[in-house]
Amino acid sequence: MRRILRLTALRVRRQFLDWSGTWWFTITLVANESLVPLAGLFVWSAVFPGDPRVVSYFAALIAVQIMTASYENHTFSETVYQGTVSHELLRPQPVVIGPIGENLAIRLWMALFGLPPAVLAGFLLGATYRPADLLLALPALAGAAVLRFLYTWILALTAFWTERVHAVVTFGGMLMALLGGAVAPVSLLPGPWRTVAQALPFHAMLGLPADIAIGAVTGPAAVAALGRGLAWIAAFTVLAAVVWRSGARRYTVVGA
Amino acid sequence: MIAFNAWRWGVAVVVAEDLTMRYRVPVRAGGLAAALASVVRRRYRDVDAVRQVSFEIAPGEVVGFIGPNGAGKTTTLKMLSGLLHPTSGELRVLGFTPGQRKAPFLKQIALIRGSQPVGGSQELTVLDALDYQRLLYDVAPGDYRQTLAELTGLLDLGPLLERQLRALSLGERMRTGLALALLYRPRVLFLDEPTLGLDVTATAVIRRFLAGHAAQTGATILLTSHYMADVESLCRRLILIDHGRVRYDGPLRELAARLTPYKLVRVSAAGATRPDFAAAGEIVEHADGRWVLRVPRERVARVTAALLTSLDVADLAVEEPPLENVIDRAYRDGLA
Repeated sequence: MRRILRLTALRVRRQFLDWSGTWWFTITLVANESLVPLAGLFVWSAVFPGDPRVVSYFAALIAVQIMTASYENHTFSETVYQGTVSHELLRPQPVVIGPIGENLAIRLWMALFGLPPAVLAGFLLGATYRPADLLLALPALAGAAVLRFLYTWILALTAFWTERVHAVVTFGGMLMALLGGAVAPVSLLPGPWRTVAQALPFHAMLGLPADIAIGAVTGPAAVAALGRGLAWIAAFTVLAAVVWRSGARRYTVVGA
Repeated sequence: MIAFNAWRWGVAVVVAEDLTMRYRVPVRAGGLAAALASVVRRRYRDVDAVRQVSFEIAPGEVVGFIGPNGAGKTTTLKMLSGLLHPTSGELRVLGFTPGQRKAPFLKQIALIRGSQPVGGSQELTVLDALDYQRLLYDVAPGDYRQTLAELTGLLDLGPLLERQLRALSLGERMRTGLALALLYRPRVLFLDEPTLGLDVTATAVIRRFLAGHAAQTGATILLTSHYMADVESLCRRLILIDHGRVRYDGPLRELAARLTPYKLVRVSAAGATRPDFAAAGEIVEHADGRWVLRVPRERVARVTAALLTSLDVADLAVEEPPLENVIDRAYRDGLA
């Protein structure tokens, strides 16, 4: 386990160095991740003018988007298409260490470029948070980061079966935006839809940390939501292992 | 299937027995109707890339694995390194089943492809990549420094160490790929077209390095190349594969003897004329007093003796026909 952690840390360092040469591209990623929450901010500010929770929620959501962004369809899937995943298969380490390392490195760069303007914009627009809620939001943010990586990783693994992985991941991203709280805060959805959205994994990937940060989900409801997030992480971990084995098996049977 | 004998596991580094790789590829006829039909009913065809290939390689052997395009060379190398699972047959490399890709196995082999000599992140410097490789393969710091110094000298890596991988030329990438692969001193090397696309100088460097490495370390090497000079300079044994089947497995010299029942006799003789060679053999070339004759192998000794006594010979040499010609003939006419 220590070796795995050491290799992961090395990979993060290596990918952090790698991405240092494309800082301008990282800024475009930050802008792209901020677009949907900004659209939500404009729309819901018009619906509830003067409600400070709208600004607070969407400012927090931008931060969550930036810190949980996952691009495995661009990073890992391309190595499947180009055949360079073969290099990774022949290394004496689990292949997933590479995508995890790159994911964390990209998020670090995005946080460096994206968080300062997001915090500044939130401050200027009047976003307010209670420190206790922000603290409680941290485990939800960590859970969202893990869950969103697993979700994107599983979708990206479809590259072993189809050359249209970007369509698959885009569809998955749309579902996440629709039911995860980016298009509309889950707490504002009509009754049945809210129940469904809370039960699905998308809320834990995106909207939950923002909901907890603004105090919309507190106490036992927050604990239950965190528990659901952990359950989804466990389920997605198992699913990712199954899909990886199946995909790697296909890659090594059909052709590398 | 032939049972594997216990002693062979101890002797051979690579053992392949009836190795077969069959791909299932989708097919359909041209046109709109066939395209629509394929939506509801897909048709497939089996393609046999490798068929019942068997061979063994002893420790320290350097073996040339050659064949025309599509013969199954790269597919075989991928199976040997663990990138492909054979459809059937038995395979052991260093006592491991390659397809399981266990860490102790992966730490003892390297697959280097001329088409992709360096994988992974391209923004890193060569030194960063080597350092990462050291940690990945648990190379002790002392060994790392020693091996790096050796490789830097042999592959002239000094000017490259601080450069980014993406900025390297093809020859530099291959030298770097070799350094990355040899840093952890693998016992078995699978080289897939290591001189592909390289210029004369870079090719010579790679050949010299590989010959020296094999001699010094006793590493087992299986090499594919379309350049017969690679094979001639590195390999005593040749495995020739065509249409997925092994057509020849044996010494390089024997293949030449088997395919070309003649040798080339080069003679420089002042004043010699065409009739002087009439009984010697077929004249292949003639220019400036130099003659090249094609002489049946069994007659070479008698012909050279006769030429030396009957002509004023300044120089005489007996040569095997160029390997390119031998292999070309094997590809075209087979080895039956």
